[in-house]
Amino acid sequence: MSTPSTKAVPTGDKSKKTTTTTTTVVKTTTTTTKQPQQKSLSTLAVGSKVKKPKTTASGKKVVNSHSNRLLSNNGLMRFSRGRMFQRRALYRISKWKDERAKLKGDKTKKTAGSIQKKKQRLSPLKKKSIGGERNGKERLVRTKRFPRYYPTEERPKKFSVKRKKFSTHPRRFRSSLTPGTVVILVAGKHAGKRVVVVKHLSSGLLLVTGPYKFNGVPLRRVNQIYVIATSTKLDLSAGKFDELDDKFFKRVRPAKKDAEKDIFDTKKEKPKLREERNQAQVNVDKVVVNAVKTHADSRLLRRYLKSRFQLWNGVLPHKLQF
Amino acid sequence: MTSSKKVEKPQGAYIKKGRLYVKAVFTGFRRGKRNQHENTALLKLDGVNTRRETNFYLGKRCAYVYKAKNKTLVPGQKRLNRVRIIWGKVTRAHGKSGGVRAKFRRNLPPKAIGRRIRVMLYPSRI
Repeated sequence: MSTPSTKAVPTGDKSKKTTTTTTTVVKTTTTTTKQPQQKSLSTLAVGSKVKKPKTTASGKKVVNSHSNRLLSNNGLMRFSRGRMFQRRALYRISKWKDERAKLKGDKTKKTAGSIQKKKQRLSPLKKKSIGGERNGKERLVRTKRFPRYYPTEERPKKFSVKRKKFSTHPRRFRSSLTPGTVVILVAGKHAGKRVVVVKHLSSGLLLVTGPYKFNGVPLRRVNQIYVIATSTKLDLSAGKFDELDDKFFKRVRPAKKDAEKDIFDTKKEKPKLREERNQAQVNVDKVVVNAVKTHADSRLLRRYLKSRFQLWNGVLPHKLQF
Repeated sequence: MTSSKKVEKPQGAYIKKGRLYVKAVFTGFRRGKRNQHENTALLKLDGVNTRRETNFYLGKRCAYVYKAKNKTLVPGQKRLNRVRIIWGKVTRAHGKSGGVRAKFRRNLPPKAIGRRIRVMLYPSRI
């Protein structure tokens, strides 16, 4: 199999190809054009290879005597980029010649291979006009000033940019925990209750709801590890829960009022649930309850969600099919 | 649901909680014939009889629950309680017949040998 060169083949050629294949013995590959698919050399990344067809028309592997190889142990190649260029005589390729001609003409373009060797050098000194009568009207001043400070020690290295912050780490969800799955809460205040997964949150938590009417579990965030997924799934595609994210559920702490309040005032204001959270609960539960109603086993499902999961004699979780 | 009214909790909220842990027995410490290592406990889980069956329980949290004379605060409860817990986790299987090794935050007291240990269902991997 060869790399099909989609760019290089003009339509004229294609028509020719089709006629030949019908008359002669059909060969599987389409290597009429031998020119490999190339990016312009100026944009090639360091270490990338210019692709050549790996097999000839007869299906044999092409082993190039000019190919490069990895040195064992290091990440180094046997021949450098420049050397490979020479060995493969890529300077002969008309495409490269065209590129070069273009670059020579266009001096504002910067190339990675730096075919243009001469940069525009700034003169080290420049003339600056200076005010004041007796200061001599002009002075020669350095264009680039000397640094004000030369550190005697190496600066302490900053936190490497490559190391990702935890907040940007990808969060993975168990494949069994899709939105709409009925799930058993296994720890916490609502342990044992069967509950519906509404959404995956970007922090890695699950958003879950009873629905509240069934078992008293509100819209709540839950960690995946405290949840056992069952095979029962509901269809929640009718609902859009875009505004429900971690920010929405984050605790809002009351602003501190130092001056006004008495220090000895021990009354703690009870945290009230925001009205929008109550509204969200109503909205989400509507969708979920509807999904339960339209489910095939809706009666059973309702009672299922209202009941609690328990272990009793003879029930072994490693043998249960959830 | 306005915040001024008191919202009645639905019926489903009041059902009594059942058992959500697997019963296990602390059979002893990891040991050879003449030396014992108290940092690892051996547990026998109820109904688990082969090494293959122990796979479900690996990593699960376990608790040795006991009572003491003095009352202390228990997290999540306002009243002082006599109940105390030593937490640990199931680390690996032990032998072919469903035994399991567990490590606790503090080594289990030897008087716990033969006593009940609760193996919870979390962290869940299903």
